[in-house]
Amino acid sequence: MLDVSGLTLSYGGEPVLEGADLRVEPGQFVSLVGPSGSGKSSLLRAIIGLQHPSAGTVALDVDSADVGMLFQDDALLPWRSAVDNVALGLRIRGKARQPSREEAEAWLGRLGLAGFAERFPRALSGGQRKRVALAQVLALEPRLLLMDEPFAALDAIVRHRITQELLDLVEGKKISVLLVTHDLEEAIVLSDVVYLLGQGPRARIRQRYPIPIPRPRDIVKARTNPTFAPLLERLWQDLSAEVDMTRRVA
Amino acid sequence: MSSKATGLAARRLAALVIGLGIWEALVRLRLVNPFYIPAPSKVAETLVTLFADGEIWTHIEATFSAALLGLALGVVVGAALGTAAALFPRLGEILDPAMTVLNAVPRIILAPLFVIWFGIGIASKVAVTFVLIAVLFFFAIYSGIKEVDQRLIDRVRTLGGGRAVLLREVYLPAVTAWGLSHLKIAVGFAFTGAVVGEFVASSRGLGYLLSFAQSTYNAALTLALLLVVIVFVFVLFSLAAALEKRLLRWR
Repeated sequence: MLDVSGLTLSYGGEPVLEGADLRVEPGQFVSLVGPSGSGKSSLLRAIIGLQHPSAGTVALDVDSADVGMLFQDDALLPWRSAVDNVALGLRIRGKARQPSREEAEAWLGRLGLAGFAERFPRALSGGQRKRVALAQVLALEPRLLLMDEPFAALDAIVRHRITQELLDLVEGKKISVLLVTHDLEEAIVLSDVVYLLGQGPRARIRQRYPIPIPRPRDIVKARTNPTFAPLLERLWQDLSAEVDMTRRVA
Repeated sequence: MSSKATGLAARRLAALVIGLGIWEALVRLRLVNPFYIPAPSKVAETLVTLFADGEIWTHIEATFSAALLGLALGVVVGAALGTAAALFPRLGEILDPAMTVLNAVPRIILAPLFVIWFGIGIASKVAVTFVLIAVLFFFAIYSGIKEVDQRLIDRVRTLGGGRAVLLREVYLPAVTAWGLSHLKIAVGFAFTGAVVGEFVASSRGLGYLLSFAQSTYNAALTLALLLVVIVFVFVLFSLAAALEKRLLRWR
């Protein structure tokens, strides 16, 4: 699905991320965890072509139109209602106005926003806006979904519910996912594979951890799986070692 | 209207009436000199006379024509230049400092020059109004385009939108919002430009009448004319506000 190899990303000549290798197989949920400033977000931006790599390649075996992206800070068009925001992607793809709106409404309904279609983003809560952004991306039926800490700004309860809904949809529709996060627990609970990124600048991918928890998953019950606690401990130790090492060097 | 809002409106109206009553009383009791501060009844009487003989309408028409023409030209030219400067950085590099200088000077001082260039007719008043508003709108649109939220641009791009979609879905609405929020200020500027232009040299217009009233030390006429200007500006201001509210209801 996605094959990133030897990817180096620089800001003003200084490499932030160096020689990153990462794969997402079809239907896989992959997470990338690492400290702040390790170039996680830049990696996603490079995959969708918003940033140019200074070395390495990004190989996608799907059309770029099949790649969906969910940003950390939702950016809905403030002058468009919820339904028009969701319909926007469909209309860009050439679908007529009315069918686009109908499909958009169906997606809003699926994400629990049936009565909010005509509201402007300003009149929606943070969680509702995030659902609209999610509907906007899912309405395009992506085969690969890239997410950059999409729910970080939400309160715990809302975050939990949206995450479970998203997981159900992604598992049901066999969408491949690459999630960037610094929440280790979330990464383990959701993913088939977790990559650990070192401390930047010149961050490198340090480890790859397969997560053997069976699917479909419940994000609470997954934590009771016997592999969860040891995996979390290992990830924590490796991440701490990574941060400590760079501190000593500095 | 809710009973709360009605109550508020009633209290405000009462305060106005009481204020005018005190003013009237002060004049009648000769505590203030009516030569400088004529009674509200005298101002009202002057207003009635002004409108009764109908001559004021040619003056209102002159001021309105100059203000609205200058407003329209200023908005169109200012917006066009602002757009061009934002889209073509080479042009922006030159226009930005030039407009900044123009913005820093009180442009109203150009009025005498415009009289020399364009005569005492409507053209010189339109020019004053134009120069006031064009600079205002240049900056409204220029910064409006430059400060469009990058996240919105990224969002539309990742949804597959190209230049045309970006223009229609992001830039145009963003710029409309900036333009509309400056329209109310522009209405005030338009009348400032037209009336001051008429002060300088004219044969018609509310500014001309004001200048006449001043030269004859007619305080009642001056106050009556100020009231006329204020009412008309207020009506236009309300129209601009209603337009803004309607078009920017997403805010």
